[in-house]
Amino acid sequence: MTKVEAIIQVSTLDAVKDALHEVGVEGMTVYEARGHGRQKGHTEFYRGREYTVDLIPKVKLEIVLADDMVEKAVQAIVKSARTGKIGDGKIFLSRIDDAIRIRNEERGGSAL
Amino acid sequence: MNTVAIASSKLRDLYARESASIEQEFSVTGEGSVAVARRTSVVDTILLRLWNEAISPDPEGPKNFALVATGGFGRGWLFPHSDIDLLFLHAGSGSENDFKDSIRRFSQELWDLKLKLSPATRTVAECERFDPNNVEFAISLLDCRYLAGNRDLFARLREKVVPRLVARECKNLIQNLGEITRGRHHKFGNTVFHLEPNVKDGPGGLRDYNVAYWLALISAMEKLRTWPDPKTLLPVSSRRPLEDALDFQMSVRCFLHFRHGRHDNNLSWEAQDEAAARKIGASDAEVATAADWMRLYFGHARAVHRVCTQLLEEIPAAWSSLSRQLQNWKSRVSTPDFSVVDGLVFLQQPGTLENPEMLLRLFHFIAEQGVKLSTTTEYKIEQALPSLAATPPRGAELWLYLQETLVQPHAADALRAMNALRLLPLLLPELKGIEALVVRDFYHRFTVDEHSFLAIEHLHRLKESKSEWDKRFAELLGELEQPELLYLALLLHDSGKALPGDNHVEGSLELTDTCAERLDLDPADRETLRYLVGSHLEMSTAMRRDVFDPANVKSFAEKVGAPERLKMLCLLTFADIKAVNPEAMTPWKADSLWQLYIASTNYLSRSADERVHTEEHSSNLAHLRSLAPVAGKKINNFLEGLPQRYLRIHGASDVLMHAEMAAQLGQEPIQLSLKQVRHWYELALITTDRPFLFASVSGALAAWGMNIVKANAFSNGAGVVVDTFYFTDRFRTLELNLPEWERLKKSIVEVIGGKADVARMLQDRLRSEKLSGTKVKISTQIEFDDDCSAHSTLVQVLTQDRPGLLYKMCSQISRQECNIEIALIETEGQMAIDVLYLTSGGVKLSPDRQAELSRALREELDTK
Repeated sequence: MTKVEAIIQVSTLDAVKDALHEVGVEGMTVYEARGHGRQKGHTEFYRGREYTVDLIPKVKLEIVLADDMVEKAVQAIVKSARTGKIGDGKIFLSRIDDAIRIRNEERGGSAL
Repeated sequence: MNTVAIASSKLRDLYARESASIEQEFSVTGEGSVAVARRTSVVDTILLRLWNEAISPDPEGPKNFALVATGGFGRGWLFPHSDIDLLFLHAGSGSENDFKDSIRRFSQELWDLKLKLSPATRTVAECERFDPNNVEFAISLLDCRYLAGNRDLFARLREKVVPRLVARECKNLIQNLGEITRGRHHKFGNTVFHLEPNVKDGPGGLRDYNVAYWLALISAMEKLRTWPDPKTLLPVSSRRPLEDALDFQMSVRCFLHFRHGRHDNNLSWEAQDEAAARKIGASDAEVATAADWMRLYFGHARAVHRVCTQLLEEIPAAWSSLSRQLQNWKSRVSTPDFSVVDGLVFLQQPGTLENPEMLLRLFHFIAEQGVKLSTTTEYKIEQALPSLAATPPRGAELWLYLQETLVQPHAADALRAMNALRLLPLLLPELKGIEALVVRDFYHRFTVDEHSFLAIEHLHRLKESKSEWDKRFAELLGELEQPELLYLALLLHDSGKALPGDNHVEGSLELTDTCAERLDLDPADRETLRYLVGSHLEMSTAMRRDVFDPANVKSFAEKVGAPERLKMLCLLTFADIKAVNPEAMTPWKADSLWQLYIASTNYLSRSADERVHTEEHSSNLAHLRSLAPVAGKKINNFLEGLPQRYLRIHGASDVLMHAEMAAQLGQEPIQLSLKQVRHWYELALITTDRPFLFASVSGALAAWGMNIVKANAFSNGAGVVVDTFYFTDRFRTLELNLPEWERLKKSIVEVIGGKADVARMLQDRLRSEKLSGTKVKISTQIEFDDDCSAHSTLVQVLTQDRPGLLYKMCSQISRQECNIEIALIETEGQMAIDVLYLTSGGVKLSPDRQAELSRALREELDTK
C-alpha cells in the first residue's frame, strides 16, 4: 500500500477529484493547506496598506492506495493539476504498513 | 451453585423477557413515557429481589442502610439503555464496612445482568455536605426515590437533609446548574436548530426540561423549606407545551435507544427518516415527510429551551453580582411603551399590541437593547396575532420598521423571537418555508432559518470581535451605505431551499421579488437586493479558483461591477460561510476571501476608464433603451465614450435623467440636479468640460459648509461632463431652509461661470470655522500608476479628510495643467481616498510631470 499526498492549486481541486474518480479512486481526504515552494508570495495594496501573503493557499489531498493503483492515480493528478506554471504543486509517495477499517476491523488492502 | 447465582439466572430471564416485551409494545404504540415507566418498574423489581438475596431478606431492613434511586432512575425515567443511578445510603460510617461485601456482590450481579450501574455510597451526613466539584450528586438527590432498606433513613434524607441542603446552598446550586447548562448549550452553538440534534443534551432536549424543573424546584424549596407540589412548579402558561414536548421527546429517545441498541441520543438523518415514517411521537399530527416531522421536533425543543433559558435568567438566586449589575442597567432602558425588569420586556399598556406599529416597535426595542420577551408579553403577542393575520402590515411602513430592526446589534435575537412566535412568517410569508427546515448536506449544521439568523448575528458581532480577520470585515461593514439591504438579503438568500427544484438560488430570487413587492422597495434597492440574493454563491465560486490570477479577478470583478456591491457581496459571503458551522470560516478561507475582495476592488478602481461604445451589444444598454424607446438617440449621444464605470455606479433612472439633462444643454449650458438621498444629498452636474470645473464645484460646496463624502467625474466623447457629488449638510442649511436649495444651485452656477470667486468664498468659510482636532492622524500617500489605463495616468491619494480638501487638491492638479478625466472620490472615516485618472495635453503624464505634481500635491495637502 502507498500513501499519495498531493499539494495542488485550489483551482485544480475539482478537476483532480474528477480525474481520480475516473481512474477508480473513490475516497480521499482533502485539507486546506498553505505553503510555497519556488513560487513566491503575493502582495496587494489596499488603501495604502500592504497585504502580503507569504504562504499561498493550497489544498492537500491524501489517498492510500493499493500499489497497482498508484501510478494511475499519480498520472490522473499530474494531468489534471498541471497548468505549466510555477506553483502547480507536488506529489509525495510513501509506504504504508497496514490499514484497519474501524467498523469491522478489516485489515490490509480490503480495508481501503 | 449458590442462591444468588440461581436468582441471577432467573433475573436475567425476567429482564430479557420484559425488555423484549417493552420494545414490542413500543414498536406498536410508540409511547415513550409508558416504555420508560415499565423499564423503571422492571428494574425496581430486579433490584428488590437482589436486595433480598444479597443484603436483607426483609425488604425494609436492615435498620441503618437503605437503597435509593436517584437521577433519571429516581424520576422513573429509565430509557432502554439509560444508566441506573443508585445511592447506597448509610446511617453512619459504621454500616459502610458492614455492608461493603454485600454491596460489591449486589453491584456485580447487576453488571452481570448487563445493567449499567452508576452507584454512589454516602452516609446521611455526607449527603448534606455540598461539594462544588460534584454538583451533579446534589442535583441527583432532587429526584431521590425509596427502593429498599430502612424507610426512616430514607425519610431523613428526603424530608430533612435534602430540603436543608437546598435551602442552604440554593444560590450555589442554581449558579452551578446555570454554568453547567450554559456550557452545554455553548457546546451545541446555543441553538436548538441542529440538522442532527442530540435529543438529550442538545439545547431544547430532555436535559433542558430537567434543568427547568430543577431550577423551579430549588427556588420553591428555598422559600417553602420543604418539598413543593411538583405539578405547580413550572410556569402555568408553559405547562401544557412542556408536557407535550416531554411526551414527544421521551418517545424519540426511546426510539433512538431501541434503534441503535445502545445509549445513543443523536437524531441522525437516517433516524429522522425512520421516525417520520413511523410517526414517532406524532400520532395526532400531520407528518408527510421527514422535514415535517423535524419541524414538530424543533417546535417541542423550542418550547423546552425557551422555558429553560427563561428560568435560568429569572430566578433571582442565580444572579451573580455582575449579571445583577447588567440586569439593573437594562432596567434603566425602559421607555413609556416598554418596561424592562431583570432583562425581560413588559408592556406598559397591555392593550396596545392590537396596534401593529407597537408590535414592530417592540421587536425593534429588543433588537436595540438585547433584552428578552417576558412570558406575559409573549402571551399578549400570541393573543394579538390572529387580528394581525387578517391585515398584516406591509409596504413602506413595514420596511421602515424592519430595516431599523435589522441594523440593530441584537437583530438576530429579535428575529428569532419573532420567528418563535410565528410573527416573522406572518409579516414575511416568503420565510415560512424555511422555518425549522432541515436541508441535508455535509456542511450545514443548522436549519435554514437558524442559519440565516446566525449569518446576521455574525455580521453584528464583527464590531466587538478581536480577531484580525473579523476586524477587516468589520471595517467594510462600517462603510456600507445601506447595511439594511445586506441583512435583508441574508434573511432571504436561502429562502428558495423550501421550494422544489435543484437550484435554490432561483427559488430565492422568486421569493425575493415577492418580498420586495410586499415591502414596496424602491427600484434601485430591489435591484441591489436581487443582485445579492442571486449572486450569493458567486464569490465562494470565485474563491475556488486562483484568487491571485488576474484573469479570475477581472472576470469576477466585472460580474460584480460596482464597489459598493462588492463590499456587500464580500460580507454576505463571509457571514454565509461562517453560519454554516462554527468551524467553516477557517483562516484559510478568510484569507482567500479577503485577497479576492481587495484584488477585485483594486481592479474596479483601476479599470474605470474603459469606454462605452453604443454600437456594441450590451445588456445594460439594451435595458436602458427598453425603458425609454423613443429617447434611444438621445441616450446614445450621451453615453458614447463615457467610461463603463459610469454605467456600473448609476442606476437606469439616473442615466435617463442625465441623458435628458445633457439634451437640454443647448438651452441652458449648466444643468444641475439636487436631491436628498437617504442620509446625504446628491448633486449632479452636466455641462461641457472646462478647466477647474471639478475643483470649482468642490470648492463651492465646501464654502457652503457641505462635507463631500463621495464624488465621481466622467466625460463622454463629445466633451460633456457628468459630475456627481454626494455630501452631508453639516449645518443642516438645506434641511432647515428650503429656499437655500435654489441659492446653493445658483451659487454653483455662478462659480462655474466665473461670476463668483470660489477661493474667497472658501477662505471666508474656513476662517469662520475652528478646525476640530483629528482623532486619527493619516499621513498623505500619493501613488502613480501608468499601466492600468491605456489613455491616462492614475493617481491615488490617501490623506486626512478636511473641509475644502477636494477643492485644494483639484485646483492644484488643474494648475499643473493636468486634466481630470475620471475622479472617484471616497471618504472612509477620517481618510479621504481619491482615485483620479489624469491626462496632460491629451496623453499620460510624463515621469517629470508626475514628480512635479506629486511634490505640489504634497505641499498643498501638508499645509494646514
